[in-house]
Order: sequence, then structure tokens, then C-alpha cells
Amino acid sequence: MNSFLEATYEILSSSSTYMNAALFAGLLAFAATGEWVAERAGTLNISVEAMLLTGAFTSAVGFHLTDSVVVALFAGAIGGVLVASVQAEMSHRLAADQFVVGLTLNILAFGLTGFLDREIDPTTKLARRWNIPVLNEIPLVGKALFNQPWPFYILYALIPLSWWLVYRTRWGLELRAAGENPQSADVSGIDVNKRRRQTVYYAGFTSGLGGTFLVFVQVGRFDDAIAGGRGFIAIAAVIFGGWTLRGTILGCVVFAAALSSRLSIQGLGYEVNSELLQALPYIVTIAGMAIFAHRVRAPAALARPFVRGLK
Amino acid sequence: MTNRSVDLIGADDAQASSAPAVEFREITKHFGAVTACEEVNMTLWRGQIHGVLGENGAGKSTLMKILIGLVMPDRGKILVHGEEQQISDPLDAAALGIGMVHQHFSLIDALTVWENVTLGDSGSLNPEAIRNRIGDIGDQYGLVIDPYALVGELTAGLRQRVEIIKCLRRDPQILIFDEPTAVLTPEESEQLFNSLRNVVTSERRAVALVSHKLDEMLSAADEISIMRQGRIVDHCLASETDAPTLARGIVGREVLLRSEQAALGVARTEQRSLGRDDRRSASALTETSVLRIERAVVRSPDGFRLLDELDLEVKPGEIVGVAGVEGNGQRPLGDLLSSLLALESGRVEVDGKTISSGRPGAMAVAGVGVIPEDRHDSGVVLDMTVAENLILTNPDRFAKRSVIDLKMVGAFAQQMIEEFDIQCDGPFAPMWSLSGGNQQRVVLARELAQKPKVLVAAQPTRGLDVAAIEYMSSRLRLAAEENVAILLISSELEEILDLSDRIVVLQKGQVAGEIARGEADLEHLGLLLGGSAL
Repeated sequence: MNSFLEATYEILSSSSTYMNAALFAGLLAFAATGEWVAERAGTLNISVEAMLLTGAFTSAVGFHLTDSVVVALFAGAIGGVLVASVQAEMSHRLAADQFVVGLTLNILAFGLTGFLDREIDPTTKLARRWNIPVLNEIPLVGKALFNQPWPFYILYALIPLSWWLVYRTRWGLELRAAGENPQSADVSGIDVNKRRRQTVYYAGFTSGLGGTFLVFVQVGRFDDAIAGGRGFIAIAAVIFGGWTLRGTILGCVVFAAALSSRLSIQGLGYEVNSELLQALPYIVTIAGMAIFAHRVRAPAALARPFVRGLK
Repeated sequence: MTNRSVDLIGADDAQASSAPAVEFREITKHFGAVTACEEVNMTLWRGQIHGVLGENGAGKSTLMKILIGLVMPDRGKILVHGEEQQISDPLDAAALGIGMVHQHFSLIDALTVWENVTLGDSGSLNPEAIRNRIGDIGDQYGLVIDPYALVGELTAGLRQRVEIIKCLRRDPQILIFDEPTAVLTPEESEQLFNSLRNVVTSERRAVALVSHKLDEMLSAADEISIMRQGRIVDHCLASETDAPTLARGIVGREVLLRSEQAALGVARTEQRSLGRDDRRSASALTETSVLRIERAVVRSPDGFRLLDELDLEVKPGEIVGVAGVEGNGQRPLGDLLSSLLALESGRVEVDGKTISSGRPGAMAVAGVGVIPEDRHDSGVVLDMTVAENLILTNPDRFAKRSVIDLKMVGAFAQQMIEEFDIQCDGPFAPMWSLSGGNQQRVVLARELAQKPKVLVAAQPTRGLDVAAIEYMSSRLRLAAEENVAILLISSELEEILDLSDRIVVLQKGQVAGEIARGEADLEHLGLLLGGSAL
């Protein structure tokens, strides 16, 4: 028992633990921030997994062709938006079931990127590390938050920007109305499905950046298993966070801690059954959902399609 | 007749020379076989409150939806300030200075008051300006409200206030109020009408007030149009009429004549057999009630009492009509007897046995058949065949070890199709290929084939044409002759008067009054429906 406590202390006091967690949290935050916006407007966008994967692949190709991480970033965003365009137009213009569309996209993206990866075989690398002076000297978390490859820092703008868009602009007001009560929003003169499409595009944009993050900040190369269900954990983070941005980011951190625990524990030389550790993040996710899912209020029209008409 | 009295008011008005705010000319709108509006002429004047009175389904809401651009008329013209206009959506209406205070469709609970008020505007979001405007409107009309409050946490009266502010903020010259007091307390209603009067007289706006409440019509409106079955049947000045006159207008003169005859015993409706009436009056005295509901309380998830200590009894062979303005407990009553709702307290007895409420199928097993209110929602499955729909409530009867015997089903369906004269392409035709009237026959056949002790018919003729209505009525009478206790829940007064032995009027989940057949005094019934106390 004593040795267990010692081990726990060593893990918690090692800055590499926080480094690992920050990388996972960063990835989840990119996907979850966009997902949060889409869910506030009423779309439970399960194709976020496909957006991550496609974004990762297109960014890798972008870099392969130009040798520039900046171009890769744009390419990643475009890849995510490409998936979003199918999701948005199918489910909020043609009124196809959003889950069927999302599920199809997830399978399609997996097959297509796997195939094209073998065809093109893009070469990639990690992005350059930016060391933010002073701040990186904060004990424990300093390096994790302020000594990262530069695309990591986009989050520091993206998260506040998303909050501002949703709570401080007319667009945000209207998308929240569309997610809560589309009939009333319609009566008030808001194009509900247009707002919903726009938020899915936004989710595609941020998840595409998340895909870039995956390749150029976290892993360094593309393979078709790179997303590995993280998109679904991002959705869980939004639910865990009770559809607030603060809660969503907290959810990302909690799930990231679980995801990174395997690396952290084994990195320090401890032996724990690795299959069990691999299952840990998903166990935490399920436990988190079981505890929090029923306590919070979802957008009232979440996942309910809107078709214009009386009543 | 309509035009004459309108001219009268126009001449009376100092601004008679100027064009009226709104003029409806021969507006006609049909929804399938149902007539919502037929050749409606109506005029709204500036500085006047025009009351539009009528039962549910009389066409008043459709007329207003046409004015606000939510519904397009089939024929007819709308003139706004003397010029003909095409109004094809609410934005067109807003551009013409027409605003509507919706009953409950335009507010969003999860947003604050100021967010709701600015919804639908354009340009950048300026919360400060909006909150100031809300304050100004509040001061001007006595509609004070906290702009930061969450709409979902407001009382019905305050929500109404938000709706009105949302409407007034765009400074409309023509305002439509759709059943504005449906959810308000009497004090709140009075407040509303005070501010309404202010808006109308001091600023010369035109107001259309849609309501079914007689008292508030008389006190708030300047002139009143009464609609029935899509037509304007009467038009008068509020100062020159009274509640009984209006009640008669709502219910309709033809019906009055018919039931007066019935009351005098002069003429029975043709379909009625004399023998049945004799037998029935005897059985009504001797037999005990087969359906008995005692002090039934049902609560909605948000704590509202849908049924509030409701007592009701139906004897074998008796048809009890449940009348009342929609939303006063008719639907929960039907749902309770379909095992869809559970009682909070009280009990339901069928044939002397207490039935556990809310357990799926319990009522059906006890012998309660239901013709549900919404055929497509809970009556039939459109994508299944006629035969499948016919056995849906009791498939065990046609199954051997849980495998359905198709031959038996087919034979049964064929028998039902012949007995109930269902027009279809055989037992295995898909349900959606049938007309509404024939779909309803399938429901009726299914329920009657179970040999129910009690039959609940909720809005059984809604959306049907005349022939189908006739058929349904004769079938219900036949069932009553076979000693089934029938509870007829309907918003069609004529139907209730035509079929019922006894009429109960529901109000706020309680029985507000009961009238025996023969003494069905229409004025009395109209007053009950209009919310006046006994």
C-alpha cells in the first residue's frame, strides 16, 4: 500500500505526466470546442471522428506537398470542413438522419484515408516547439502548457473566440435559439437549418485543426488508426461538461488524464496490466457519463431535426 | 350583413375617409376536405379592438395566420391600409407593420428576456440598447419586466408580457392577439387589457383579439365577429350585445333548432330508433355504471394538474359527451383510459373492479376500447397492412406459440372489411393507401371486435368528410344499443348534441357542469363553454 502511494506521488509530481495529459487534452479540446458549438445549435454531430481523421490526413498531405506546417494547418481545416459539408447539407438541408449520415462518414473516412495513405504515403514531422519564457517555469504544468509545438497555442485563441461567438454575438444567440426551440426561432424569423449547417461547418473547422494537431503536435506521422475514437470522447466531454464551454474543457482534461495515464505510468517504469490501462479512459468516460449525463440539461432540441411547417 | 355593420362603424369613426388598417376580402382556405375559412370578410380599423370569437376549429386562428403570413389563402385578398398585399411569410407581415402576440410559440425558455426580445432582429448585438428599449416600453405601457430574467422561470403572465414587448418593440400598427388570456389569471388578464386599451386608443393602432371567452370579449373589444365552421356568422358592436346572444352565435342556430325540437319531443333525429330510447331509459335507471372515475388527479411532468379531482360515470348503453374548450383535460382523460397516463390519486373502475392506471394495456384488458384522438400518432401504423392494423391490439388471438397464423388473420380482416365496409385493396393493402375515413373505420372495427365494455371515442370524426361522419355516428349509436358504455370526447358541439344522452363540460381538469339530454339548453352550454360560471 505504501509503495502504491509512493508511486502515485511520483507520477503526480513528474512533469512528463502533465506533458502527456496536455497533449491529449489539447486534441480533445480542438474537437470538443467545435462539437460544443454544433450541439448548442441542435446537432449531435457524431462525424467529429471522421473530421479529425480526415483533417489529420489532409494536413499530412498538405505538408507532404509543401513542407510547411502552416499550409498543413489550412489543409487540415479544409479536410474537416469537407466532412462537415456532407454532414451539414445532408442532415440540415435534405433532412437525412444525422446519426446515419455521421456513422456513414466515420466509416467512409476510415476506409478512404487508409487507402489514400498507402497510395500517397505522406511524410511528416512534429512542428517546431515554441518555448514561452517565464510562463514555462511554472512548477509542474509550466512545460505542459507553455513549451509545446506551436499549433498547440491556437487553442488559447480558439476557446475564448468560440465562447465569445456563442454568447456575445447575434449569430450565437440565434444558434442557441435554434438548439433550444427551433419552432419559436422560426416564428421569430431565424433560418434554423442555416444556423445549424453553419455550426456543423464550425465543428468541421476546429476538428480539422484537431486532426492537424494530432499529426504535427502529438504523433508526428499519419496512420489510419490515429483518431482512435478520440472524436467520441470529445462528444462525451461536451456531455460531461453539461453543454457549457467551461465544463467541456474540464471534461477534456479529465478524459485526457485517463488517456495519458498509460504513457505516464509505464514511462516511469511501473508495471500495470497494459490492457487494463488501455481500457481506463473508456471506463472513466462511461463512469463520467453515468454520473453527469442525467444531471445536466441538454439543448432542448438536441438531435431533433427541424422541418418547417406549422407547429 | 357583415358589410353593413362595418360601414356603420366606419361612418361612426372620425377617420372614416381614410382606409381601414386591414381588410379581408372573401378569404377562403381549405386544408384537404376541411374548410378553415370560407369567404371571410372582415375589417380592422385603427384605434379599435376587433374581437374574433368562436369555438376551436372555427377558423379564427387560420384567419390570423393568413394575416401574419404563416398560412397562404386559397382565394381572396388582403388590403393593408387600402392597398392589396401578398403576405407570404412573417417577415413580409413585419415589413407591413403587422405584429402578432403568439400564444406560446415564440419564446425560448433557456434564453433571458432581452435575448428573447431581440431574437429575429438583424445587425450587431447591442444588449445595452435592447435593455433600454425594454425599459422604455415598460414605462410607456406599464409592462415592467427584468430584462435579465430567464424566460423559463417566469410566470405565464410575465411570459405574455415578454411576448407583447417583443411585438411592440417593432412598433407595429396592426397587432394580433391569439388567445392572449388562455394561460393567465383573471388579474393578469385585466392588466393585459388595460395596457391593450392604452396601446389602441392613445396610439391609434388596430388590434385583432382572438378568443373564445365571452366576458373578456364584451369588456375588451369594440366590435365582435363570430366565426363558426370557417364563416363569419355574426358581427356586432360589443356595446350592443350580451353574453347569451354571443353564446348562441358561437354554438349556431341550426343546432339550436334541432335540439329545441328534440327537447320538445317533436322530432327525433331520423337514425334513432324509438325502441332503443325506451330500453335505454329503463336500463339507465336500473344498471350501475360500468365506467366509474373517482376523484382522478393526473399531473403533467412539470407539476401542472391535468385532471383535478375529476368524477365521471358511464352506464351500459349510455353515450356521455365530454365537451369543453380544448386543453381543459380532454386529452389527459383519453390518455388515462388508454393506460398512457398514471393517476396520482383517485381511481378508475371498470365493471366494479379498480384498474391499475398507467400500466401498458391494463385498460384494454379490462375492456376499455379507445378510438384515439390522433389517428396517425396513436391510432394506426401507416406502413403496416390493414390486416396487421386490425390485430395490432390483440395479436395473441391469432398466434400459435407466438407465430402469427396469416390465414386466420386474413380471414378475420376480410370479415371486418365486409362488416365495416372498409374501402381498400384487400386485407394486405398498406394502411397509407386508405382514405382518412377508411383508416378510421379500421380503428373502429379493431376496437369493436374486442367486444369492449367501454368505448372511448376521442375526436372520432376529426378531419373526416360528411359521409364518414354519418357512418361513425351511426356505428357509435349501434354500439350503444349493444350496451357498450360510450364516452364521447369531442370539440364538435353538434356531434355531442346529436349523440349524447348526457353532456359534461370540462374546465381545468374538472367537470364544470352537467346537462342531461332533452334539457340541453344551448345558451347554457355556450355559457359553460365560454367560461361563465353556472
